[in-house]
Parts: sequence; C-alpha cells; structure tokens
Amino acid sequence: MTSFIQTLILGLLVGALYALMASGLTLIFGVMRVINLAHGAFAVLAAFLTFTLWKHLGLDPILSIPIVMAVMFAVGWLVYVAVIRHVRGSHVSMTVLATFGIALMLEGIMGFIWGNTSTAVRVSYTDASIALGPLYIPQVMLIAAGIAMLILGGLYLLLNHTWAGRAIRAASANEAGALLVGVSVATIAALTFAIGVSTLGAGGAMLSTIYPFLPGSHYQWIARLLAIVVLGGLGSLPGAILGALVIGVGEIAATSYLGAAWPVAVPFLVIIVVLITRPQGILGARLREDAVA
Amino acid sequence: MSIRLLDPRLQTLVTRAAVVVAAAVIVLFPLSPSMSAQNTMIMTLVLAIGASGLNVITGFTGYLSLSQGAFIGIGAYVGAVLAIRIPDVPPLVWVPVAGVFAAAIAMLLGLVTYRSRGPAFVIITVAFLFLAQFVAIQWVPVTNGTAGLTLPLPDWPDAWGNWPFHLVLVTLLALSLLMTWAIRRTKFGMGLIAIREDEGKAGTIGVNAPVYKLLAFGASALFVGMAGSAYGYYLSFVDPTGMFSIVTSALIVLSVILGGRGTLFGPVLGAFIIQPVNTFANDTFGGGNARLVLFGGLLVLLVILLPKGILPTVTALLEKARTKGTVGLSGARLNPLDRPLLPVDVKRPAPTGRILLEVRGLHKSFGGNHAVDDCSFTVPEGSITALIGPNGSGKTTVFNLISGTMTPDQGEILLDGERMERLSPWSRAHRGVGRTFQITRLFREMTVLENTVAPLRDFSVRQLGLDAVSGSEAARAAELLEFVGMSAYRDARAGSLSYGQQKLVELAQVLMLDPKLILLDEPAGGINPTLIERMGDLIRDLNAKGTTFLLVEHNMPFVVGLCDPIRVLARGAVIASGTPEQIQKDPLVLDAYLGDDYLLEAPSKAKQAANVPAVERNPA
Repeated sequence: MTSFIQTLILGLLVGALYALMASGLTLIFGVMRVINLAHGAFAVLAAFLTFTLWKHLGLDPILSIPIVMAVMFAVGWLVYVAVIRHVRGSHVSMTVLATFGIALMLEGIMGFIWGNTSTAVRVSYTDASIALGPLYIPQVMLIAAGIAMLILGGLYLLLNHTWAGRAIRAASANEAGALLVGVSVATIAALTFAIGVSTLGAGGAMLSTIYPFLPGSHYQWIARLLAIVVLGGLGSLPGAILGALVIGVGEIAATSYLGAAWPVAVPFLVIIVVLITRPQGILGARLREDAVA
Repeated sequence: MSIRLLDPRLQTLVTRAAVVVAAAVIVLFPLSPSMSAQNTMIMTLVLAIGASGLNVITGFTGYLSLSQGAFIGIGAYVGAVLAIRIPDVPPLVWVPVAGVFAAAIAMLLGLVTYRSRGPAFVIITVAFLFLAQFVAIQWVPVTNGTAGLTLPLPDWPDAWGNWPFHLVLVTLLALSLLMTWAIRRTKFGMGLIAIREDEGKAGTIGVNAPVYKLLAFGASALFVGMAGSAYGYYLSFVDPTGMFSIVTSALIVLSVILGGRGTLFGPVLGAFIIQPVNTFANDTFGGGNARLVLFGGLLVLLVILLPKGILPTVTALLEKARTKGTVGLSGARLNPLDRPLLPVDVKRPAPTGRILLEVRGLHKSFGGNHAVDDCSFTVPEGSITALIGPNGSGKTTVFNLISGTMTPDQGEILLDGERMERLSPWSRAHRGVGRTFQITRLFREMTVLENTVAPLRDFSVRQLGLDAVSGSEAARAAELLEFVGMSAYRDARAGSLSYGQQKLVELAQVLMLDPKLILLDEPAGGINPTLIERMGDLIRDLNAKGTTFLLVEHNMPFVVGLCDPIRVLARGAVIASGTPEQIQKDPLVLDAYLGDDYLLEAPSKAKQAANVPAVERNPA
C-alpha cells in the first residue's frame, strides 16, 4: 500500500510537469491544427539553455525560468514566422513534416553547441527529499510540480480573462469566424505558438534538474508529450492536464512494477491503444465530418 | 520551335529514353571501380524501394507514415534471424520470406487506420517505429538486444563482388515499380485515390475502404521487407539503432515528397537525389549533427517551396506552357438549354404501394444533444419524398444514419424490408442507396469523368484487378454526364468546377451506382434559379424511370412542386406527414417550421415560383 501511494505521489508530481510541457502542444494544435513534432526538441533546447545559465553564470534553474521563458518565446515567434506561417492551413502531413524538419535541425544544432553527451543540472537540492513517515518526496519534483501549477494557472487566467486569450480561444473554435469578427488570426497564431513554446521552456528548465538529457532525448520527449495530448484529446487543455497525470502515474508504476526499461514503451503503447479505441481521446470531441468542405 | 518542344509525343519519347538510359546505368553500376560509389548505389536502391513502397500509401492513399524505415529493419531482422538459425541455406533465399513477414506486420499497422486518420495516424506511425525498436532491444533471445546480430559472410567467389546484392535490389526495385504501375491503372488504385481525396465520401459510393487500405499497407511493405533482408545480409550486421532509426524513415518520406507523391518515378528520383546527398554529408562533415541540420533544413524548405515535388511541378509547368492563351472551360456559363430533356411529360410511375425505406424509432445523440430522437417515417417506392424541417432539426443526421456515415444509437432502418442500420456505408451503397452531400464532396483532384466512374456497385477481390475505367463504364459515365448536361467538362478537374456544376456531377456520380434510392441533401441549395429548375427536371425524369428519392430541402416552392409525400422533422422526430397540401395547412408544421405568415401560390404555379428565395422560419 505504501509503495502504491509512493508511486501515486511521484506519478502526480512528474505528471504536473508533463502537463505544463504538453499544454503548449495541445494549444498549438487547437489554434492552428499543427502537430508540432519539434515540441520535444524545444524542451531539450530549454534544458540546455538552463544548463548554460547554471554552468557559466551559476544561476539557479528556478531563477533562470523567466529568462528561459523569454528566450523560448522569441524562438517560438521566430520559428512561427520563418516556417509554420507558410504551412498553416496546408495538409496535416505537410505541417508534420515541416515541424519534424525543425526537430531534426534543432537536434543537430544542439549537438554542435553542447555535444551529444548526456547532461544534467545538479543543484544543492538535487538529491534532497522530504520524508513523510514511510514516504519520501524528492524536493526538485515538488518544486517542479509547484512551478508547473503556477504557470498553468497563469495560462488559464490568460486564456479566460484577457482579450488575447479570448482571441486565442475564438481562433481555436473557428478560424474563419474569428477572422470575421476582427481577430487577426495570423498574429494570434504567432502568439499562440510563442506562448506554447515559452510555457514549454519553463517545463524544460525544470526538466534539466530531474532528468539527464542530450540532443537525441527529444524523441522520447515528443513521444511522451504526444501520448499525453492524444490521451487527453488533441486540442483540449484540460484533457492534456488529465492525460499528463495519467501518463506520469503510468510511467512511475511501470518502473516500479515492470522494470526500468518499460517507461520507454508506455507512451507508445498508450498512443496506439488510445488512437485505436477512442481516437478523440478522453476529453476531445468528434467533429462532424459531413459538413467539412 | 518552342511549339515543337512542347509536343506531348516528343515529351513521352524523351521521358522513355531517359528511363531506359537511367535503368541501364543503374543495372550496370557495379562496373564502377569505386567501392564507395557501389556502396552508395546499394543504399540508394534500398531507399528507392522504400520510397516506392511508401508511395502506395502516402502518394495514392494519402496516409503519411513515418515508420516506413521500420519495414527495412523488420525485413533485415527476419533475414538475419533465419540465416543464423538455419545455417545451411544461402541467406538470400530468405528475402521473399522477409518481405511477406514485413507485409503482414504492415497490414496490422494498417488495421489502425480503421479508426485513425490524418494527424492521429502520423502519430501512430512514430509510436510504431519506436515500439519496433523497443521490441528489437528487449527480445534478447531472438534479436540479441542492443548488441545486434552478425550474419555469415557471402559464400560466393570474391570476383562476384557486390553483383548479387546489386542485382537482387535492382530486381526488387523493378518489381516495386511494376506493382505501383499496375495498382495505378486498376480499380484498386482508383479506390485508393478516392480514399486519399475523401475517405468518408469514398465509402458512400461503394469503396470498401478498410480492405483497400489493408491491401495497400501490405503492398507498401512487401518489397521493402525484401530489400531490408538483402541489405542486412549486405551489411552482415543488424542492430536496433541502425535498423530502426527515424532518420531513415525521414529520408524515405523526403524522397517521396521531393520526387513527387503519387507519380510512378518521382519517389525513385527523390531517393537518387537524397541518398547521394546523405553520403556526401556523412563523408564531408562526418555525419551526425551536420546531416541532421542538412536534412531537417531540406525537409522544411521542401515543404515550403516545393510541396508538390519535382515531377508534378515540372508537368504542371509544361502543361501551363502548352495551354498558354487557351481559355479554360470551368468558368463558362452552363446553358440549361444545351440539351433538351428527353421525356417532357412529367409522368409519375404508378405507386406500387410498397415501402422502399422505413425508419423506425431512430435515436442519435451527440453528448447531451439528442439530434435524432425517436424518428420514424417511410419512403414509398417510386416516390419523391421530402424531409423538411428547421435548421438543427436533425435532417442531415438522419441522412448520415441512412447512408451509414454514422451508426444510430438505437432504432431500425429497413431497405426493402432488410435491416441495414449496422451495415457499412459501402454495403449500403452496394444495396442501392446513393447520396449527395449538402456541401458537395467530389474528389477534387480527379477529373469529372473519373469522379463519375469511381463508384462501385459491389465488392470482389477480382474487381480490384480490373481496369480503372473499362470501355463500358466510360460509355455509361459519358451517358450520365450527358444526362446532367456536364459532358463538356468531362476532362476538367472536379475541384475547378463551380458549386452548382459540382452538384450536377455529384448527381451523375451517384447515378453510376444504379441506386434504388437516392438521398439528396439540399439539391437546390446555393445554386442559381435556372439550375434549380434543371435539377428539378432531372429528378422528375429519373423518378419517371423508377428511381425513388428522399430529399432534404429548404426551398419550399421547389419541394411543393416536386415532392409527395412530405415528412416534417422537428427536434429530431417526425411531427407531420402527408401531401404538400396537408403539410402546408398543418398547424403543427406552421408553428414549428413554416411560420404563421407562410403563404405559397398554388402548387401548379410552383415551377414559376421556383426562383423565390427559400422560405424558412426558425422557431425561436
């Protein structure tokens, strides 16, 4: 029983971090129907940025979050303008290929800059944990989960209580309609992409303290993040949060009950099973097909 | 001079000569003294076979897969495991076995397309690739895990060099191209293209999409698995990282897109560009990161600048140069008097008294919304029955339930007394139910003639191999296009037609099924008055020849002048049923749909009034 609760706690903590990272992916899909296969690569990029700030400036990963988020916002905006803008609205396979191309480029560029060896950020609290009777809670994971909830809360406020947020939701619900009522969908799309990459940046910064990473890690991350949004329903933010918690607990459970190799397979199995049995995910809606032009 | 250069016959000649020369160079390539060049050629051939296979599902069927590289790996592993376990047999003997095995696995992957399309499918293929790698790593007793398997070295004389590998791969490439060519010109290929253009629509015209896709997936991996097996033997070593790299899959996709999806030689051309670049990047920059940046950048540029690929772009440019100055047909005015309608007397067939379609207690909800709520009505044989009602009353959902695009939560649908509410859309089409859509859904990239020929009246394995357009079918299609007055457009791309013209072609397409019952979703919606009149005449004409119609329409003068009986739908259920006269006086109908101020001239004058805008009142 203790081990079960322990699994649950750890799973929910990593799940919170996953939720933060997946929120951008689902938001971007919702607004521009683009599956951003570079999302994993952006996460690893944020981790490397955090690593550099820590290594060379001695900046604590938590303190570097605002800087990383700002840089990633700019990176997101740039990538949108340079690439995504041109493929938004074309067939989904084209957008998938474009973002996959970005992922490959980022992998190569990160390899040039930081090398293809496993890296990790180690801070004073890396190995510290809080004991609660027989249970233990690693401090970094607790901090990461707290920050994730904070930023997700901010994202919620942004989407529901600002004009830009309403515009994003309008563009997500009906692009042509949003355009007609005066929402500049192109700008909103750029903003959404940048926000999505920026919130991911915060997740990437925390990731660097919990998991070792290298440029090639982005495949594992994109698989995990895709599994989350597919499970929750592509385009649904609450779905992504729910999916992240499920995957988080699932991975920790697979590690403790099946063995260390299994968490790797969890996302892939989840993706295949969900997409076969319930393609719209837990909270996604099926679109009516007959009215699509 | 420029005119002669654009002569299509000259182009065909040039293309053929280029193919023959290229084939000769490829076959004789091992005469090259450079071992590294020979090595590049072997890898190029493997990539080309992979790309040619992927073309069947991506180019024809429209499913993008990032797991095509996995079938090279699966083939290589099957070959390696068999070669090691059964040492007395020359390893190349296992090549066909590896191909069949890979095809079987690909068909399993194809099964998932039963539920997943578009983005979901791409994600599945990525997951599939990594899962295949996971299995190769974890299944140590068979695969030897991350350490990989070492194959025996070839036992033929040194003087033969790479020739056996080379010739096997060249043969496989030739077979793969032959298969692609054969698929393209059969009903099978036509069905695949219909699936690519609009899978839901393909079902309603009788294309058994799951079987088609399953076969396409098998075909796409067959020769790729064989090539993988030969390649593994050539390398004499297979391991999970090398064999299941997603970069290989990316290179295959890149080749297909670069050369041109859906063309015969495009993917091969793409592979012959990509692989040498790949080798160059590896040799010059030491591979790794530079190669990733190079191909990532190439992928991005290709998608932005040349999304159609080389061959289609070149063809389009030549076509543009050739037709420069000529006027296109698509914008021309459609004159309804081009062809007088054959039987002018509007005679209705004597009512047979039989019920052709019966709907009993139909229910369909979307979440909490009961779109169809205990709906029951009948369509008498030989009638033109109308289904009217306010927006959102569930008319189109009822259509979707009858045509099989959706399955009901509850209730029965009987055609000629036979239950069919659980049948697939194509089985219903085969039983004689045809439908059009509220917003036309033609296969936009096909010509009008191809659109008209695409419907299938039944399904058999033998049919898959028949010519895409047989002589008698072409004749029948031409007849139907003549009937709807669209003959002049038979070779125009369906996507280039106006909305009204598309409606007429869609009608001809449905007629190709020889349906007993035709469902028309707003046949008079969004088209001009002359065309509305023409549409009415066509329906009457067909009805006089014995076809039963059920149509959804808001244009009341049109409905009153054409239909009898009428069924009125409100909040998902039929609230009234009867002749036009009865319906127009029914207080329930006036309240729910037509409105208190509804006035209509006598039905006899309805034809003249057909250009009055649709009368429609929505209950608040």
